[in-house]
Amino acid sequence: MSVPAADLLTTAPAQDVLGGVGAGPRVRSRLRNLEIIVPGALLVVLLFFCFIWPLLYHIPSPTVADLFEVNRPLWSPGHILGTDAVGYDVMSRILYGGRVSFEVAAAVQAIGLVVGGLFGMIAAYRGGWTEAVLMRILDVFIAFPSLVLVLAIADSLGPSETHVIWALSAFSIPAFARVARAATLRLRDQPFIVAARLSGTRTWRILLQHLAPNLAPQLLTFSLLGASLTIILEGALDFLGYGVPPPTATWGNMIATGQSFISVYPQYVLVPSVFLVATSICLNMMGDGLRARWGVR
Amino acid sequence: MSTSASVQSVSRSGSAFARRLAGSPALRLSGRRLLSAIPVLWGVTLLSFLMLNALPGDAASALLGINATPAEIRSFSIKLHLNEPLWTRYGHWLAGVLTGNLGTSLASPQSVASIIGQRLPVTLELVIYALIITFVVSVPLAVLCARWPRGVIDQSSLVLSMASISVAPYVLGLFLVILFAVHWSIFPAIGYTSLGASVAGNLHTMTLPSIVLAIPLIGFYTRFLRADLVEQMQSEDYVVTARAKGVSEWRILTRHALRNSFIGLLTVIGLNLATLIGATVIVEEIFSLPGIGFELLNAISNRDVPVVEGIVLVFGIAVVLANLATDLLYGVLDPRIRHVRARS
Repeated sequence: MSVPAADLLTTAPAQDVLGGVGAGPRVRSRLRNLEIIVPGALLVVLLFFCFIWPLLYHIPSPTVADLFEVNRPLWSPGHILGTDAVGYDVMSRILYGGRVSFEVAAAVQAIGLVVGGLFGMIAAYRGGWTEAVLMRILDVFIAFPSLVLVLAIADSLGPSETHVIWALSAFSIPAFARVARAATLRLRDQPFIVAARLSGTRTWRILLQHLAPNLAPQLLTFSLLGASLTIILEGALDFLGYGVPPPTATWGNMIATGQSFISVYPQYVLVPSVFLVATSICLNMMGDGLRARWGVR
Repeated sequence: MSTSASVQSVSRSGSAFARRLAGSPALRLSGRRLLSAIPVLWGVTLLSFLMLNALPGDAASALLGINATPAEIRSFSIKLHLNEPLWTRYGHWLAGVLTGNLGTSLASPQSVASIIGQRLPVTLELVIYALIITFVVSVPLAVLCARWPRGVIDQSSLVLSMASISVAPYVLGLFLVILFAVHWSIFPAIGYTSLGASVAGNLHTMTLPSIVLAIPLIGFYTRFLRADLVEQMQSEDYVVTARAKGVSEWRILTRHALRNSFIGLLTVIGLNLATLIGATVIVEEIFSLPGIGFELLNAISNRDVPVVEGIVLVFGIAVVLANLATDLLYGVLDPRIRHVRARS
């Protein structure tokens, strides 16, 4: 078996890279709990403010600029995070931009989980030619530098949120397929699968009812790490001008527009950056913590 | 007479050698890996081509703009062979690729190969410089962490690693620009001096971009190396032997364990190349470095299809070859892996 082509951020080597060896089990498990709970809670708060808060309270529109209120500093009355050079309320653009990030991340991971998971499971379960052909196809996608592939696809399809989702799925599907395949290979010859096969259970039923539930913890953990990468890549597309087009607010295009004012108003770059990095850290920490707790690779 | 005998003996020992080669598990494995890389390389050419040709979007009308007449578009399509069937065009393109002819740019009279040849050194220098920085920082740091697991250095490096792995390259790039270029003016924010023009000038312009590329790698490699070192120090027999002989902890760590851990580290670098290439595109864009990623973005916005195809192909092939080299190197460096894998 060849060493899988690992993405720096998504695939972990055999060791628990960010975990620790050496502390006592009790201290470690308490640390592990905190490592999952704290970032999880932060994410829930952020999700609440992005998706529910704007429904409950009136906040300034992210796409209606107030030309009399430009370049307000942080903590201005009415604009907690200030306004930008055009007069957009930064806070509101952050919240609506967060929506885009989370929507894209969730969609891309869901597509990757279902399609890639099925691919990987079928490849490993069937073996032989099916596996060889499927895995070579995925190898081709994995060989491509993901950002380059995503850029080219996003450009061909044209700028929109749906197209960004399709483009980013082109790399989440092979990544999930890899993980699902490796896990299925370990489970394939376990007694419960053999028993199911011997008692005449149909293949799709074995895949969906016997294998899938066993793969779920690993794939879900992996999807947290993948979501962090998706958010970064989605931002990169916006930043380079091939993502969700303005005037829709996204963290990536806020950073890109802020770049022009970087020497005078660095906060236009820093504020969305803080949200982007914090979200990504939270997702990575949760993914890592869960991975260590469930003992999955 | 004597010559023919020696020829015979040579040929006999030659065939014995050939038989030994065929029986060598390492070589069989390498052969199998090489063969399995061929369909992947072919797939890379297919994907590079299809991505730009089969997806919606008409290159001819995009290049000529919205004011072009249908006649102009038609003659332009004929010139670019866009009127021919997809597979015919792919055949022509692939034949060109196999003979090293990647076509001509649509935006300039240069050939695609010469454009890539011009831009590649900048990107290569960036990647190599970044890898050097990564090694210089992460190897000593990992050793310090592994010397006192869960100590102060280890814990703080854990936190920093998590942050550095999670930070997006464009965020990091702009943040460093704010600090080093705007605030302290130590390094320039944009611009490029070639290595040939001035070595000091070149380092001056390349340092900040290389640091941006290096920081996520430092975080990852430090943790990777540290985890490997700690595991070796706790579980390997040769460590126990060395300790029993009275070798100092530092010496075991740096002379015995580190050597073994380097094998794992080397392979990870090869596998990370795809991500690293993605990051160079962004870094070159932020710092306006005339590398291959900068050219790619240019070509995409100009709809310069042959250039985009050529660059995507070069990147794809580079990654496939790096993965192949890594896989082969893995077996060469660690005999245990070679035999285990050959048997499976």
